[in-house]
Amino acid sequence: MSQGDSNTQPTGAEGPGGVSGAAGAVPKPVVQKGKQVVRRPDVDTLFSINPDGSRNAIHPADVHGRFQRRKNVLFAVLIAIYLVMPWLRVGGRPALLIDIEARHFYVFGQTFNAQDFWFAFFFVTGLGFTLFVVAALFGRMWCGYACPQTVFLEGVFRRIERWIEGPPAARAKLDKAPFSQKALRRGTKLLVFAAISAVITHSFLGYFMPVEVLVEAVTSSPGKHPTAFTFMLVATGILFVNFTWFREQLCIVVCPYGRLQGALYDQDTILVGYDGKRGEPRGPAGKQGAGDCVDCFRCVTVCPTGIDIRNGTQLECVGCANCIDACDDVMAKLGRPQGLVRYDSQRGFETGTRRFVRGRVFLYVVLLCLGLVAVTLALTRRRPFEALLVRAGGSAYALEGERIHNTFDLQLINKRPGPRRFTVKSSTGEAIEVVIATGELDLGSLEDRRIAVHAFVSKAAFKAGLRLELTVTCDEPDGAEDLVRIASAPLLGPTSIRH
Amino acid sequence: MSAESTRGHSYDGIEEFDNRLPNWWLWTFYLACIFSVGYWIHYHTVGTGDHPIESYVLEQKAAAERMAVQAANNPITEEMLLKLSKEPGFVAEGKKLFEEQTKCALCHGPMGHGTTAMNTPGIGPNLTDDHWIYGSKPMDVYTTILKGRTPDLVRKTMGGMQAWDSFGTDFVLKTTAYVLSIKNTNVAGGKAPESYAVKEP
Repeated sequence: MSQGDSNTQPTGAEGPGGVSGAAGAVPKPVVQKGKQVVRRPDVDTLFSINPDGSRNAIHPADVHGRFQRRKNVLFAVLIAIYLVMPWLRVGGRPALLIDIEARHFYVFGQTFNAQDFWFAFFFVTGLGFTLFVVAALFGRMWCGYACPQTVFLEGVFRRIERWIEGPPAARAKLDKAPFSQKALRRGTKLLVFAAISAVITHSFLGYFMPVEVLVEAVTSSPGKHPTAFTFMLVATGILFVNFTWFREQLCIVVCPYGRLQGALYDQDTILVGYDGKRGEPRGPAGKQGAGDCVDCFRCVTVCPTGIDIRNGTQLECVGCANCIDACDDVMAKLGRPQGLVRYDSQRGFETGTRRFVRGRVFLYVVLLCLGLVAVTLALTRRRPFEALLVRAGGSAYALEGERIHNTFDLQLINKRPGPRRFTVKSSTGEAIEVVIATGELDLGSLEDRRIAVHAFVSKAAFKAGLRLELTVTCDEPDGAEDLVRIASAPLLGPTSIRH
Repeated sequence: MSAESTRGHSYDGIEEFDNRLPNWWLWTFYLACIFSVGYWIHYHTVGTGDHPIESYVLEQKAAAERMAVQAANNPITEEMLLKLSKEPGFVAEGKKLFEEQTKCALCHGPMGHGTTAMNTPGIGPNLTDDHWIYGSKPMDVYTTILKGRTPDLVRKTMGGMQAWDSFGTDFVLKTTAYVLSIKNTNVAGGKAPESYAVKEP
């Protein structure tokens, strides 16, 4: 929909299938170059797909400006974090390692095992609500600045393509060149792309297997680590195809987050948009009565998804702000104020006022905070070790003369980041005689052990509801307070029923 | 690609354009169709592919074979344990481990006859008599020490034997050798056999 002569258009993203946007759209100009009609982006079709269904390769023009500078810094930082993280260690353990095979999860000095997997629920919902809040406030901020697809495509692959194949026009020309002429440049580019895809994949593997093992796997025969090797091959292949060919199709057609956006936007969401009031009607710089837009198409040529931002908010827009920088540049040259294309809300473009706090933002923030409170509580109450006292499989009790004999298993799991010594003692009174197979034992991090426990109580002292209680102490090093847990289970024995 | 070519339906004013699907998208559909033909023939017409249950059974069989090979190649054998139980030095080391108050002696008594140092009946059975709960063959004793024993519902045994594998193979071998060496020595003052223990020749 256009901002200029907008009637009562609903807000939200429009599909390539189109909503009712066509009605309010600017009439499509027919541009001819010689005899050929030049296709311009519109809201009725996907510009990256030709009318015959074939792919229209998009070669966004080079652009410079304040948002590009910010993005370049952010891309460098994010890529550095991604590559360095697997090598970082906290307290002698990997800073972030999700060892699925061993079911050991190391997260910034905390150790988790499979029983703690439910924390993942809070992580995923937290991520979801954070994206909700960001999307309601700033639209596809994530897509344009932080999504791996964008970071690697714009920060690495497109840049290398520029170095090897030249500026956009040269790249488009190379697309049409006969094979013999482009083989060398294309071949070089594809080789470099494949190598970088492999690096990204290996770094990814480093989050799921310890780097020492990864280095060993890389330097040894593929047969020694067949699973990791197969994964590496497949993932490298997928990344290679994605970054050489699929590119913006992922953001437009595949990514569910992109398609969710329409439901998260409202009138006040800050998006990349075009000030139609100021820009329309378009016309050359000197023309009487013309708006500020000189129809130079710079905003279109720099767009990585091939849209015309002047047609209004569209599903394809990933919020990269390329068009803002491009237009600002043109406006500066014309001596006109910048911001014809800028970050603003629909209401902002129409009335000049913005609302930041709205019902939906408030609701998303409240839900996010609820989740944060829950996870904080859960994490602080997380048990440093597990001590489960359970009846030995399939046993009830045995009468041995005047004594009742109960057998238990004490399941101990060390969830501390390092090895610890555990001491198990009975904390039940004299009435219950307790024999613990190993009262003192050392367990490595995330190691577990089953300990046999026998409890004896005389028939006279036994009553229903009597419980065995064990105090398990985990010795903390460096004078830290020892951790104590009580494990308890009911004792069984003969009881007479009184009426 | 003109705005006029719509599918002709309208829901709450929302209409659908009749644009051609991307060719790459169509190809995923065509390839899936081609794949399904091969899949159908492989699994349903010719039957060369294994159905989930069949492949599960096959995997189980392969696993069982692997374990059988492993068992056949197990370095610990009946003969080896018997031989170790006759080596005085090795048995002496086992005896030392056995007598440690927090290990075997806790339940079986320092002399292995089921009577504790305080002269009360221990939890564990007498290991010096001819009654055995879980078998007295060298491999039985080895397994009992290695993996522990849990209660048996049918035989109504108490279980409660600790698994000692975490102490290492060396510990298990030495204590096994010692237990085999004291079998049938009938140390005086031993604990009476449990009701469910079996007399062995």
